[in-house]
Amino acid sequence: MLIQRRHALGLIGAAAGSMALPGRGFAATQRRSITVAVQKITNNNTLDVWNEQSNVGERVFFPNLWEGLINRDWMGDQGGVPGLATEWTRLDDKTIELKLRQGVKFHNGDEMTADDVVFSFSDERVFAGTQPDGGKTLYPENFKPKTDKELPAGVPGVGRRLWPALRGVEAVDKYTVRFHNASPDVTLEGRMIAFGSQIASRRAWDEATNYAEWANAPVTTGAYKVLEYRPDVSLTLVAHDDYWGGRPPLAEIRFLEVPEVASRVNGLLSGEYDFACDLPPDQLDAVRKVAGLEVQGSTILNHRIQVFDKTHPVLADPLIRRAMTHSIDRQLIVDALWDGQTRVPAGLQWEFYDDMFIKGWTAPQFDLTLARDLVKQSGYKGDAIPFRVLNNYYINQVSNAQIMVEMWKQAGLNVELQMVENWGQVLSDETQRGVRDWSNSATFNDPVSSIVAQHGPNGLQQQRGEWTNAEMNDLSNFMQKSVDRPARKKAFARMLEITEREDPAFQVLHQNCVFTGMKSELNWKAAPAFAMDFRAQNWRAS
Amino acid sequence: MLTYMLTRVFRAALTILLVMTFAFVVLRLSGDPAAIMLGPDAPTDSVDAFRAEWGLDDPIWKQYFAYLKSIAQLDFGISMRDRSSAIMLVLERLPATLALTVPTLLIQLGIGIPAGVYAALHRQSVADRGVIMLSIFGFTIPSFVMGLLLVLVFAVTLGWLPSGGQDSWRHAILPILTMSVGGIGILARFSRSAMIEVMGQPYIRTAMAKGLSWRDVVWKHALPNASVPIVTIVGFMVGSLIAGAVVVESIFSWPGIGRLLIVSVSNRDLAVVQCLLLVIASSMVIANLCVDFAYGLLDPRLRAKTTAH
Repeated sequence: MLIQRRHALGLIGAAAGSMALPGRGFAATQRRSITVAVQKITNNNTLDVWNEQSNVGERVFFPNLWEGLINRDWMGDQGGVPGLATEWTRLDDKTIELKLRQGVKFHNGDEMTADDVVFSFSDERVFAGTQPDGGKTLYPENFKPKTDKELPAGVPGVGRRLWPALRGVEAVDKYTVRFHNASPDVTLEGRMIAFGSQIASRRAWDEATNYAEWANAPVTTGAYKVLEYRPDVSLTLVAHDDYWGGRPPLAEIRFLEVPEVASRVNGLLSGEYDFACDLPPDQLDAVRKVAGLEVQGSTILNHRIQVFDKTHPVLADPLIRRAMTHSIDRQLIVDALWDGQTRVPAGLQWEFYDDMFIKGWTAPQFDLTLARDLVKQSGYKGDAIPFRVLNNYYINQVSNAQIMVEMWKQAGLNVELQMVENWGQVLSDETQRGVRDWSNSATFNDPVSSIVAQHGPNGLQQQRGEWTNAEMNDLSNFMQKSVDRPARKKAFARMLEITEREDPAFQVLHQNCVFTGMKSELNWKAAPAFAMDFRAQNWRAS
Repeated sequence: MLTYMLTRVFRAALTILLVMTFAFVVLRLSGDPAAIMLGPDAPTDSVDAFRAEWGLDDPIWKQYFAYLKSIAQLDFGISMRDRSSAIMLVLERLPATLALTVPTLLIQLGIGIPAGVYAALHRQSVADRGVIMLSIFGFTIPSFVMGLLLVLVFAVTLGWLPSGGQDSWRHAILPILTMSVGGIGILARFSRSAMIEVMGQPYIRTAMAKGLSWRDVVWKHALPNASVPIVTIVGFMVGSLIAGAVVVESIFSWPGIGRLLIVSVSNRDLAVVQCLLLVIASSMVIANLCVDFAYGLLDPRLRAKTTAH
């Protein structure tokens, strides 16, 4: 009986304790606080830019929390703008010198100096002793971690993917740094904009007792700092009043994890949330028709694609892959599933490539006659082609797959949907693979950030043994090392021809877009990205 | 009696071991945690390093014995996602779930059983019909429909209660209400059936014939005999106190065990899933064990049969 009573008291205590969580009652302030309902805050439960390289991570990191030497122009053309560096100069094809912005304060009150930049690109923070391509690290003797903090196993690989040939960063003086590459690279500036190349406080890292503690509240220079992070529940950022870009307009930003889309919409309709993110197109009208609410949608630097596995006996024939690319009426899918809110891209490229953008290149034309003819030429006997699909990992993924299967059927192709549960099953080669869904992003404004990184010799598709092409691999190596811009552009155009026409590695489907429901009174503008800009220049609400 | 109890305890332990073994094997055969955790864009170097760090390259039997050894030392492992202790993650979430499920159980017991008993004692009355109708409604409507319906009415339309989250006691009202409805319906139906069956028994006629008051007949003779099937149902409900709120926690963004289970399974966060299943299976098995023992207390015939064994 005593045990029962204790048990009951324990349960009551637990229940009471759970409900008596910290309230949201903040002291009266002139600045507004907002609540943003998101499907997921982070995938890996950390706030480390090298460990949480996801779309959802981009939303909570940029531009409010993490900043780089060169920042992405989130509200503009997505190119680079001065961030923690005010100017940069090329010393040669392998070296770039940057002047740091003076007076930048970290969230712990320290001034940012060259020492913090060196640390942010160090073995201790990212590379863990991995050697750069074509050379050795700049100061290998410097890799002497002061604590027993070990990086997660995946971080060095991610770091070396973005900075394959970085030998190290040199502190010239307190406010000047030099990036030394082992090989010539015209994209060094672009790599500084990319997800991961942001600056963290060395002292905060040194003082943390372990990686998990540090990654739960990294000390950075952004306009908002971490107040509390409850993985899978909420992330609360508060204003960093010493921010170099001026006083942040919001007192607090609270990202709340609300996994169900209906719950996010309901919370927005009831007024509890100021923003409801990750809305699928079929929910937009439910928000739009309510007075005082609006939907902001924008295309992002990410294309939905389907990837081919050349080891499949049927797909080994490029004629079949070409037929598949010409069977799809992409515009119809955009109109039917996306309410015309996105578009069919010009192949695997984006306009922010600027002078590297191949004008006139298009996605494969929808031509059913051509597709049927290609199938006929191949001598295809109707063998099933497996198409692995996750349950709406991407918005509209299942509907889209079903439509495409029917379109392929029209061309005489027997594509079989295989619903799988996770990426491990999508990529598994224990059974014969065929076609799979994917999406490709451009992390900076050059083709090496996408077509080379994802389909080149070190890209996932080739590493997983799905596809390879000798000419494509030669061109990838050339793109990474050459500084001859016209020749690089010509090489990129040839890569598009190979991967999207001659020996298709993938087919682009449509550009991805995101939709955010919000209170109209906030007068806020969504960036063409997952990132949500809550800095002063993008906040006009009273 | 001691042999009987020890047999039951042994069976319970075996059940937990089987659940753990099954989960261990299935989790490892249904997707590579490295590919899931690091995502589709991860470099192969990173995937390989991750697999090596977490021992995923070892043969499954080796991983299994290492797991059993660590469990025997009360080491439940650490999360692959953020390196926090798996058992601490589970224990942190447990109070939130109990904050929903314990009040829910009390409400279900407090309304479901009296309603069923009242309906049985007033058969064919308007109240009886009403209880039947409402109980069918209660246990047939899925919790995700009920939850969204309640949110639509009380949060969106009337604005009386929050639609989700866990910031105050008010946030718990709609989830508790959602979960209570189904259980009330089930308990009312079972209580009614059990009472109707008991009320038709000869010993009830005998009790009434010897002049006992209606109250004594119901309280001393009918209810104790009707309680065996009711206890079975209540046992299941107690057993699902920990894992019984998966859907509702998702709908109401309530950060309890259910949401941790969904996230951990989808990420193949092996240590956390296994720890959760251990806790959930243990609670279910212990509840059933208690029900078995309660049978003996409630029904002297079972006790006698056990002793005879």
